[in-house]
Amino acid sequence: MQPKNKVSLIARLRSMRETRFGAFVPVLLALAAIWIYFGLAVPIWDYWGDPDAETLRFIFLSPRNIYNLFMQSAVIATLAVGITVVLLLGEIDLSAAATAGVCAALLGVLVLMDVPAPIACIIVMVLGIVIGAAQGILVAYVGIPSFVVTLAGLLGFQGVMQKILPTGNLNVGDPFVRGFARVLLPDAMGWALGILCVLFFAWTILSKQTQRKARGLELDNKVAVWGQIAFFGALVLATVATLNSYRSVPLLIVLLIAITAVVGWITTSTPYGRAIFSVGGNPESARRVGIDVKRIRVSAFAIVGLMAAIGGIFGASRFGSVSYTAFAGGSLLLESIGAAVIGGTSLFGGRGSVWNAILGALVIGSLGNGLDLSGAGAADKLMFSGAILLLAVAIDAISRSGTSER
Amino acid sequence: MSQTKHSMGPMAPSPHLRVSGIHKSFGGVHALKGVDFEVARGEVMALVGDNGAGKSTLMKVLAGAHIADEGEFFIDEKSVSVNSPHDASDLGIQIVYQDLALCENLDVAANLCLGAEPIKPGFTFLPRLLRPLDDLAMEVRAQEAIDRLQVKTLKSVRAKVGGLSGGQRQAIAIARAVGADGTVVMLDEPTAALGVAQTRQVLDVVKRLRDTDHAVVYISHNMRDIFEVADRICVLRHGANVATWTKDDVTPDEIVGAMTRGLDSEATNAA
Ligand SMILES: Nc1ncnc2c1ncn2[C@@H]1O[C@H](COP(=O)(O)OP(=O)(O)OP(=O)(O)O)[C@@H](O)[C@H]1O
Ligand SMILES: [Mg+2]
Repeated sequence: MQPKNKVSLIARLRSMRETRFGAFVPVLLALAAIWIYFGLAVPIWDYWGDPDAETLRFIFLSPRNIYNLFMQSAVIATLAVGITVVLLLGEIDLSAAATAGVCAALLGVLVLMDVPAPIACIIVMVLGIVIGAAQGILVAYVGIPSFVVTLAGLLGFQGVMQKILPTGNLNVGDPFVRGFARVLLPDAMGWALGILCVLFFAWTILSKQTQRKARGLELDNKVAVWGQIAFFGALVLATVATLNSYRSVPLLIVLLIAITAVVGWITTSTPYGRAIFSVGGNPESARRVGIDVKRIRVSAFAIVGLMAAIGGIFGASRFGSVSYTAFAGGSLLLESIGAAVIGGTSLFGGRGSVWNAILGALVIGSLGNGLDLSGAGAADKLMFSGAILLLAVAIDAISRSGTSER
Repeated sequence: MSQTKHSMGPMAPSPHLRVSGIHKSFGGVHALKGVDFEVARGEVMALVGDNGAGKSTLMKVLAGAHIADEGEFFIDEKSVSVNSPHDASDLGIQIVYQDLALCENLDVAANLCLGAEPIKPGFTFLPRLLRPLDDLAMEVRAQEAIDRLQVKTLKSVRAKVGGLSGGQRQAIAIARAVGADGTVVMLDEPTAALGVAQTRQVLDVVKRLRDTDHAVVYISHNMRDIFEVADRICVLRHGANVATWTKDDVTPDEIVGAMTRGLDSEATNAA
């Protein structure tokens, strides 16, 4: 009875991961587990264990904390989205956080030199693209493994960042740059945007279903279709409601979602995205159908570079400063790679999604936030993050084995 | 080592695709040593030879997956150049690779359209690579290609190739080559993983391609299949031509002899 049950569970997990939305489930479960633990279990435990406690205090699940959680995870998520793109190719980028640091430092210096902030942002994004593309060229055309190229990049750019910021810290007070993290959408606009998103999502799914019927293709399961819409709607509207009940929807989050939507659309719905997946799955067959594998590789690295630069801008905006430890020297790199992997993107290439990277970033962010709230030290945080990462990859490996020999 | 230049005889149809003097080396391995090859429309040209004779390499050169070190290409006797897979598919050359060259992480429809995905009309302001895919058209196209091959065991064109059997994969690779509208279809050991019934279907597909005026190249180690579908048989040995026969002028034993020993004195009845 027991083993039979287990097999069918794993089999179900596997078949679920094959579907586009089923891939969300493991990371959502991880997120739910963490939120239940820190949000409900820990407060209740504290309440029972402490006779002096007056009331149950759900700090973790308070709108204020969730707002902070989103903001804290935003930079990780931005980088994780970029890293997902190279992971899809079966490559890795260890230099993303250092690139973000260099870009943020340059942004701070440019703004200090009275370069108009929008122009400084564009310069910095171009720099990110150039850095990424240069590493991509070394990988694709010179043939150095990406691990080595970007490891060299990690070391080198850490040095560059220290050169740009001899003191290791630079305040950024420019209102335009700070604006990304400070500007809040009016409550009504937040609602409007949220509802529009849900309607658009429902419309794309339903119109696809009608077209399928018209062309005589196999239809998606009705329950699954409406389930997806209901689930997505609940997720979006709950988020908007929570954010609104503390402050309101921050511009930073809207930008992050918009950028992810663009990258997500490119990777799943264009010939370019198909090429990325096919190169990740089988580079030789991609080459034989005429895909320019080298150019695809370079462009993917350019995308990480761009996302790193954007992450740098977001970080500078959120912290109001650029510091060596916040970017190049800190845990940002491992957190963002961890976020991508926890999201279910395979390190072997060819499987994953940028949306999952955002959820992965939330998992990492929630973990850090929750441990901070319960007074855990940096050591505990590291160990917990390691365990979660391992767990995520284990789920991935179990749900994958059997469909591929790799 | 007798390396007779092949003689086609008066019966030989005028070639649609013809290559001559193809050389290809991989580092120290000289895989093709000046090979001539041709195939006409409405005929099935079988290409046979021992393991390592250079059959697959020749096919990859024709398909643009390898670039020849030397050699000339002609389509309808007009000189052309094939320097990439795109060049070959633009010339109407389609191939089923021996290793199938499928992406296991993509679904059947995506594999069938890989590199030539249908895109939605409009969006001309975007570069082609960034225009929206028409994934429903892709599924329709895939379903048609699969239906034509009658792969009954394949349930959905949205199934990931990684979860399919070897024979189903082979069918998909064949459907990809046959479904694209080309004039030359080359099949490199297409029945290696297939059961009896499926092999029969592939042979029928090959005959149908010939009847619809395609130029077909068929590689196999199975003499029965070859003698069933081929019009002419070209033998390669150690990366060089041995001879090309019209099927009716030769017996399986002679072919096997030519494959393993080359031409010796007894093979005088080569046309
Ligand atoms: N990519 C490659 N790199 C190096 N050597 C190669 C490569 N491809 C083929 N060769 C060599 O070229 C020769 C011909 O190989 P090819 O695959 O064309 O043989 P084949 O006739 O298709 O054999 P089989 O019947 O086993 O498929 C072999 O000696 C092989 O080792
Ligand atoms: Mg071969």
